[in-house]
Amino acid sequence: MADPELKSKVEELIQANPVLLFMKGTPDMPRCGFSMRVVQVLDQVDVDYGAIDVLPALQPLREVTAEISDWQTFPQLYVNGELLGGCDLVEEMFESGELAQALGVEQPESAQAPQAQQSAPQQSPPLQIE
Amino acid sequence: MPADLAELEGMIEAALPGAEVEVIDETGTGDHLRATVSAPQFDGLSRIDQHRLVKAAVKERFDDGTIHALSVKTSLPG
Repeated sequence: MADPELKSKVEELIQANPVLLFMKGTPDMPRCGFSMRVVQVLDQVDVDYGAIDVLPALQPLREVTAEISDWQTFPQLYVNGELLGGCDLVEEMFESGELAQALGVEQPESAQAPQAQQSAPQQSPPLQIE
Repeated sequence: MPADLAELEGMIEAALPGAEVEVIDETGTGDHLRATVSAPQFDGLSRIDQHRLVKAAVKERFDDGTIHALSVKTSLPG
């Protein structure tokens, strides 16, 4: 069961930030390839967002988001208080235009998820630091 | 212990009867997997709820540490 104090703190943050990303690392220094890909998408849609590094409290935060949103893996992107998804869903909805719509911004002209750009064979696989 | 792809496919098929399921190993390391699932149960659900169903089906393998990352791609049959 999740820590009630942490849970209410997280709920407050989700309500207070229209766009909030729970990620491993920081937008400037992501510590996980999946988190990095969501940051790259958000940079392309050019939206202001809050970011929380989950690594210092990974397990307690997993328990909290499992209760709040039935979702235990990070990254997690919340828009207007609702979980939109992790890396796959954010990229999928970015390419389809649903993300821009949810965020209320214009769809960038060359909306291409970072994954699709990673065709170069020398690209290293996403880092997964637990 | 590396993930058993056939077992994961079976777990998803058991949770979503009638689904077409494919689980592949993206990195060759056995713990970063991609599941492609087409299921009639997805009808009327948001994408995130579709993903929740798939993740819930294999939750046991997340909890025991067999898999760390599962990419999910969902669609409706047809």
